[in-house]
Amino acid sequence: MATIEHGGSSFDVDEDGFLTKGMEEWNEHWVTYVKDIEGIGDMTDEHWKVVNALQDYYKKNGIAPMVRILSKTTGFPLKRIYELFPSGPGKGACKMAGLPKPTGCV
Amino acid sequence: MGYDPANPMVDRITDIGPPHFEQFFPPVVKKNYGKWLYHEITQPGVLMHKSETGDECWTVRVGAARLISIELIREMCDIADAHCDGYLRWTTRNNVEFMVDSKAKVQPLLDELASRGNKFPVGGTGAGVTNIVHTQGWVHCHTPATDASGVVKAVMDEIFDYFTSMTLPAQVRVALACCLNMCGAVHASDIAILGVHRKPPMIDHDAITGLCELPLAIASCPLGAVKPVKATNSKGEEVKSVKVNADRCMFCGNCYTMCPAMPLADPEGDGIAILVGGKVSNSRSMPKFSKLVIPFLPNTTPRWPETVAAVKNILEVYAKDARKYERVGEWAERIGWEKFFEKTGIPFTIKSVDDYRLAYDTWRTSTQFKFTSHIK
Repeated sequence: MATIEHGGSSFDVDEDGFLTKGMEEWNEHWVTYVKDIEGIGDMTDEHWKVVNALQDYYKKNGIAPMVRILSKTTGFPLKRIYELFPSGPGKGACKMAGLPKPTGCV
Repeated sequence: MGYDPANPMVDRITDIGPPHFEQFFPPVVKKNYGKWLYHEITQPGVLMHKSETGDECWTVRVGAARLISIELIREMCDIADAHCDGYLRWTTRNNVEFMVDSKAKVQPLLDELASRGNKFPVGGTGAGVTNIVHTQGWVHCHTPATDASGVVKAVMDEIFDYFTSMTLPAQVRVALACCLNMCGAVHASDIAILGVHRKPPMIDHDAITGLCELPLAIASCPLGAVKPVKATNSKGEEVKSVKVNADRCMFCGNCYTMCPAMPLADPEGDGIAILVGGKVSNSRSMPKFSKLVIPFLPNTTPRWPETVAAVKNILEVYAKDARKYERVGEWAERIGWEKFFEKTGIPFTIKSVDDYRLAYDTWRTSTQFKFTSHIK
């Protein structure tokens, strides 16, 4: 486990850079940190729409939404989500939103 | 330009797929593609395909460890350059095939392969034992109950003579998977080696928050043994966690796959189960699933003598008793599974009796059976 300092906040992260304590430690400094390492230029409203959709769904259901649900709630097709988050909805958007690292045979 | 981490999307190439296989055809294969008349196995490991144009393609199949270094790949490339105009291929069981276009070129190729010690054993054709399809094991995976490469090496060493000969009733496919995800061919192989756990998962209440999506862990259980609970972590805080009903748990490890805070690997608990009788081909009988015959053998590193002995025993009894063309599963079903257990001397245990959902159809709803040593 490593600790990352960014913008005055510190975050516990795992080897893939996901927050190990989840949304407890999540704040806007984390978003700017992930934005830089994921090669995302500026945070647009569209980025925030995806991040908020993920967080809302996670708080309500305890899991990350399936890709089809994320597309439906945000209105972005998968292609657009990849344009916003080049690493994809799992490694990019979920990481930025402070969700747990995706598991299973990925 | 090289990769620029500051601009990861610049000059990025994607969605180009694999190169077209035709680019790598040996000339004789390219010329006779779709025109083959018949083939022969001239000796173990050597095949000859005859084309309607009169051309011949001679193939020499050699065993490979699947997990190989770039040095070994380069050595294979050197052999291919020297004998096969730079062409070679891998089979679906991870053997390597060198192809030449005339009989005269076969013996120099065989001599070259033999001159390199045991690196390139020729064989794997016809009614023998070819390569073992296997998985990651302790080399790379996080959910294994046993090793893959180590067990495969130990087993193939013992049954090596069956790789270089064609003396069995039919081909015997051996496969290994290091957990019951069964990556590969374990569920449909003549003899299957499978890593199994025997203890329920341990739950790390300190790490589960932020690491796991609890509903996924709950839904991952095939027996409904995982339940959500409020638990107390080591700091005395109440956290949302899960509980495992140990009486319902059959140690599949699915919950650990979904939730890293539920590890279950255990050096004494983990080991190997042996399944037999699967096949995928449709020849003579329909494809079959392999069935559990030995519920547990220990992980005895580095040579797994119990597993090796069990595989060899099944293979030898089958070789002696089965009819020509009969696969292990066809043989066991013809003589009856009670006879299979008697002939192989494997003790029949309660673990072989199916008790999962559709189990009823696997029980005997008939008076037809043979008296064997297992019925006292």
